[in-house]
Amino acid sequence: MKVLALIWSDESNWDRLSEDERKEWYGKYRSFSQAADGKLAGGDELAPTQAATTVRVRDGETVVTDGPFAETREQLGGYFVLDVESLDEATELAAKIPGAWHGSVELRAAAEEEAS
Amino acid sequence: MQYMLLIYDDANAGEREGLMQEYFAYTDELEASGKLVSSAPLHASATAQSVRVREGEISLSDGPYAETKEQLGGYYVIDVDTPEEAAQWAAKIPSARFGTVEVRAILQIPAEARA
Repeated sequence: MKVLALIWSDESNWDRLSEDERKEWYGKYRSFSQAADGKLAGGDELAPTQAATTVRVRDGETVVTDGPFAETREQLGGYFVLDVESLDEATELAAKIPGAWHGSVELRAAAEEEAS
Repeated sequence: MQYMLLIYDDANAGEREGLMQEYFAYTDELEASGKLVSSAPLHASATAQSVRVREGEISLSDGPYAETKEQLGGYYVIDVDTPEEAAQWAAKIPSARFGTVEVRAILQIPAEARA
């Protein structure tokens, strides 16, 4: 089964990190990706929510607004798509994502039959 | 440049008549244009779980990270030339007519930053 792991953390913490500290975190993520090799079907880091926009179409008119859909204490900063046998396995893997150590990892199962 | 389009709509959206067909048509169009990277519809947010690790202890909680009026129901990752083009594809997502599509740029992490 495919499970989307959404990584929520306080993006202002990232802004405060030095370049060396950032490299260290990228290293931790790289270690995770290597350790989880074969169980990952995708993943990306997202630009800060400052750059987010939301799009709605009402009565045929497209309305674009700045900012993410929800203002939250922690922000969606990236994701992995986990390719696992069970939700338990997804949970075990999610606990190894560096973001889980200071933020939260939300697990959402993909509706397999329609996934492309 | 790549963008993640996050689709927020109400849990009953799937019951709207013809909506799934509209999604199939949209996905086909995106795929035919060569701009589709990946996509998935998600099971209901009621089935979400959140995982946190503090001082080596794993804690699990039921439900999505944020309780919102509309819920994340699926996503597309697209590869387009401009932010405007990303917004155009976002506006064509069927749920944009009654829900919300959040557009998030994907960072291309330079190799030296990872080293």
